[in-house]
Amino acid sequence: MKKDIVWRLLRRNLSIWQTAGYALANFAGLAIVMCAVKFYCDVRSGNDGDDPYVTRDYLVISKSVGTIGGLLGNDNSFSPEDIAELSGQPWCKRIGAFTSADFNVSASLAMGGRGLSTNLFLESVPDEFFDVKPSQWSFTPGQDTTVPIILSKDYLTLYNYGFAASAGLPQISESVVSMVPIRLSVSGNGKQLWLRGKVVGFSSRLNTIAVPTDFITWANSEFGEGNPANPGRLILETTSPGNPDVDKFLADHKYEVAGDKGASGKAAYFLSVTTAVVAGIGIVICLLAFAILMLSIWLLLQKNRDKLHSLMLLGYTPAAIRRYYFVIVGGVNLLIFIAATAVTLCVAPLWRVPLEAIGLDGASSLTAIAVGAAVTVAVTAINFSAIAKKVRSAFPG
Amino acid sequence: MEKITLHQLLPAVFAGMEDESSVAQSQVWLRNIEFARGCRTLISADSGTGKSSLVSFIYGRRNDYMGHIQFDGNDIKQLGVNNWCSLRAITLSLLPQELSLFPELTALENVEIKNRLTHHRSTKWIADAFESLGIADRANVAAGRMSVGQQQRVAIIRALCQPFDFLLLDEPVSHLDNTNNTIAAALIEREATACGAGVIVTSVGNHLKMDYKQTLRL
Repeated sequence: MKKDIVWRLLRRNLSIWQTAGYALANFAGLAIVMCAVKFYCDVRSGNDGDDPYVTRDYLVISKSVGTIGGLLGNDNSFSPEDIAELSGQPWCKRIGAFTSADFNVSASLAMGGRGLSTNLFLESVPDEFFDVKPSQWSFTPGQDTTVPIILSKDYLTLYNYGFAASAGLPQISESVVSMVPIRLSVSGNGKQLWLRGKVVGFSSRLNTIAVPTDFITWANSEFGEGNPANPGRLILETTSPGNPDVDKFLADHKYEVAGDKGASGKAAYFLSVTTAVVAGIGIVICLLAFAILMLSIWLLLQKNRDKLHSLMLLGYTPAAIRRYYFVIVGGVNLLIFIAATAVTLCVAPLWRVPLEAIGLDGASSLTAIAVGAAVTVAVTAINFSAIAKKVRSAFPG
Repeated sequence: MEKITLHQLLPAVFAGMEDESSVAQSQVWLRNIEFARGCRTLISADSGTGKSSLVSFIYGRRNDYMGHIQFDGNDIKQLGVNNWCSLRAITLSLLPQELSLFPELTALENVEIKNRLTHHRSTKWIADAFESLGIADRANVAAGRMSVGQQQRVAIIRALCQPFDFLLLDEPVSHLDNTNNTIAAALIEREATACGAGVIVTSVGNHLKMDYKQTLRL
């Protein structure tokens, strides 16, 4: 393009300092936005894992058991109205009920030569709320004689460090528990049945002994004695972990949240707010840079107005003229995007080490790059349309 | 394009002056005139009678007029930007009075900026034109540093660097001596004949020395 006469003509009034100023400002803004997004993704990467650090997407709630009410046997279950009110909240993404067994269960197992027998309670939760998805997680009444069980991780910890140590029993790992044969006695409604149980997974989200919904439904109809079926506990997924509105709602209704994940929930909320503020600053810088660019383009086209007019008299089309400005603006924006991507990729390892230390292995950079690309495309598109409009205005007819 | 027709044309600034002698005695304003392809027309005028306006109207640079201008029967106010751009590249050629050369470009570049759009002339043709008009030694001088007479010759060459059906020349030789006037006229006549084109020339006194078939007084 060096030998292109039109290029030389139009380039003449292009201020290198204005362009550099814009490039620098937009680069800073874009880099900040992309780093903020990358950081946010990295910190939130624990979300899908077993042990989320700064997330509280899932809440298990129950009603408070009052001193008097508990003794009098007041109903502490959630009525359909309660559930409807909860699911109507803007922060509630979906809601699932714990269905408890309406029959007696006792389990016995032989371990290290010593038998162990206990009464048990079983519950079921809709499958989509589990953080683990074991392959054997199904039960078909009449066909299967083995009931898959998902245990709370807390229970194993409690056994290993609380019970086993003091009772002289061996500590056991998750895989060992999965191999232990359990005999389940299910009884009620005048019937009794022996089944095999098998622990197929451990959940850190659900504080219960969970069995498949199909099993509970079948067993309740078989052995249940027709007690009211309102759920006593609910699990709900929130769209905004740590949102104070959630805490306020739960407190107002005297609902209790299982476990104390409040601190990490607040950390998550704080993180969201901080990231939003940082990204907001980046966006503001981008907007200012954008304003500088628009002003420069405006000025440049205004200065070149006579030239554009003369070119028009020679028969040049607006499309032929604006192409030159598109190349300049598009080229600069592309360079800025590449530079900002490079900076993001270089800076991300700085926080990678401390994050890895607390068990977060980082997320892919694609989201950050996609956000940067989207910003760049949007800015370029607006630039292009402004240029096209301005060039067109120099062409009467 | 075969013909340019003017119907009752009058610049908007002359509105209300229909009875004054400048408009009433004009052979162009408020008349119906047809310029056919192949014409050689001289429009002579005094300063301030709207000569450059007429050329601007026909070339689509301005539309502040009353009445109609038609190209082959189509009103030119209906033409879009792209129509005009293509007309100006292959059908209509204009030598504006103010020349509209780019002062920062050399004489040769000012010609090439047109020719790279149309690819109509060879390098040799352009060099010969510079030579015959006596400005070959100025070809690589910035247009802004040339005399008006020299610039006029550059603009004449540039106006010929495209195919055209009509050539509009707005006071093309106002700053040229007799010799260069004759040479320029011969060059223009030769190229217009080659294209079978019409030539419409305006003048306030120093006429381009062509063999006009029609002379109109503005």
